[in-house]
Amino acid sequence: MAASTPDFKRVLPLRTAVSTSAGLASAAINFLACVEIAEYAGGNSAWLALLVAGVLILFAGANFSELNGMYPSSAAIRVWTRRGLNDTWSLVMSLVYATTVTFVIAADAFVLGHVFQAALPQIPGLIWIVVLLAIVTAINLRGIRIAGIVQDANGFFLLATLVIFSLIVLLHAHTPLLLPRLFHLGPNWFQAVAVGVFIYVGFEWVTPLAEEFEDSRMIPRGMFIALGLIAVGFGLFSLALTVVFPNAAVLKHSLVPQLVVGMRALGPLGFWWMVVVSLTTAMTTFNGGMATASRFVYALARERVLPAKVGRLNAFLVPQTALLILAAASLGLAIIVYLTGQYMFLINAGAAVESFMYAATAIVVWNLRRREPRTARPFRSWGVPAMSWLMAVIFTLLGIGSMLAPSGEHGFPGPLVFLTLLTVGAYLYVRHVVPKLRAARRPIKRVVPKL
Amino acid sequence: MNEVLSVLQDFAQQCNHNERLRKMNRDWSRLVELLATDTGVTYWLRSDQGQITAGVGEIGGVDLKILAAEDVLRDVFSGVMTPTEPYNAGDLLVKGHQDDLMRLDIITLLIWGE
Repeated sequence: MAASTPDFKRVLPLRTAVSTSAGLASAAINFLACVEIAEYAGGNSAWLALLVAGVLILFAGANFSELNGMYPSSAAIRVWTRRGLNDTWSLVMSLVYATTVTFVIAADAFVLGHVFQAALPQIPGLIWIVVLLAIVTAINLRGIRIAGIVQDANGFFLLATLVIFSLIVLLHAHTPLLLPRLFHLGPNWFQAVAVGVFIYVGFEWVTPLAEEFEDSRMIPRGMFIALGLIAVGFGLFSLALTVVFPNAAVLKHSLVPQLVVGMRALGPLGFWWMVVVSLTTAMTTFNGGMATASRFVYALARERVLPAKVGRLNAFLVPQTALLILAAASLGLAIIVYLTGQYMFLINAGAAVESFMYAATAIVVWNLRRREPRTARPFRSWGVPAMSWLMAVIFTLLGIGSMLAPSGEHGFPGPLVFLTLLTVGAYLYVRHVVPKLRAARRPIKRVVPKL
Repeated sequence: MNEVLSVLQDFAQQCNHNERLRKMNRDWSRLVELLATDTGVTYWLRSDQGQITAGVGEIGGVDLKILAAEDVLRDVFSGVMTPTEPYNAGDLLVKGHQDDLMRLDIITLLIWGE
């Protein structure tokens, strides 16, 4: 349907597909997720858990590529699940999926607060969180968006930094890396892979840009290249972490592991370099997350899934109410997590939601092959239906693994309770409130053309 | 006259008679191509210095392409449904910048309300 013609004015290059995919996956909270992976993996084999998660994510990427090729739309998951499952489940999944943006913004705010507290101890981290989130919200409210090139550059800047700093640390390691330790699997290795999924979370958020690419094959290529870059960058960082902290139990107490690696690699210069990397990464996460999620909320309001007032625009044509709700939710969550220190809750819940989403897309691909066999597919996923079912089972198990991964001192499965309540709440809302909102729509006087 | 073309011309007229929209679109100069996927007929909308015009036939150098069946195009540009409804169902596909797509949605919002 979306045939290409040479007269289209504006197209995005492959570079943008790669940088967007890598940039959106590279949140500052990934540094702490690497700590958690290393802790579960039992040390040096963290890189292997990340690699295994990455291989599984490749299959999820193939499913996203097929769906994106069929329906290149910024409404992405909403369109695919609606056609591949049904409207009710599509809405439930879209609402739950959208909350992961809040998780990631809150998580990055948590990281940023601790980074600044370590760098400038005179000012409490909580103040940094409030100020920086307020700045990004104000910028977004005025309709100013960080230039695409800045967003693009940050992904490469972060990954290049990780590779270079990690290699310096590894080349100057005090204790040699022994082969058996690199492959030693700790008792919670399955959880290490489950949380490993979180490192790649967001790689698929390049698909809503599909409409801006003339050649729809750019998105799959961009996603696969980005997955390779993320695996190398964070794989090396995980390995460097386990060299800096040979004892995994000590590792889990570090809330600013990237600053420690930076210090070990280049001294104070490396430390401050990592402060800047953390700041730019978190700010681009805030900005990209808020802009994307507020538009998604606006679209739901226009579709009568949310009250119309949620979609109201300000003088700058920005969905103001949606943006303020998201900013308040992110700030509230960030403050709670900062005060309680339960950041692992966000990582585990985010990894679980994404794993379930990857399982669902495998089923959607299979369903659409049956329902819409004639629709053009510029990219065809691999091994449908056998691999679809296998991936659905694997990602469901990984999602359960993430939900059950102990968060906090007492091992209370917070993500399990929270996501169950969230899903049930979303389902009840879609079943009972949405029909009323849709029925209450003011009838529009149709403009009948004079023929 | 072709029904969709008539709807588009009426839509353009409503935009041009709306003071707020004229002001809002003053710096939004775009050429939008609308392809009816079931009939293969191509329409266009041009926004230039706050004035909207509509026509039929292929046209080069477009900023935004919209692909949908004739009845979807007709319903969207006559206010029977918001562009978001068929868009979120995959019945209306777009090629172009998301800001331009949102602008079109806002125009329909300002003409026909929530």
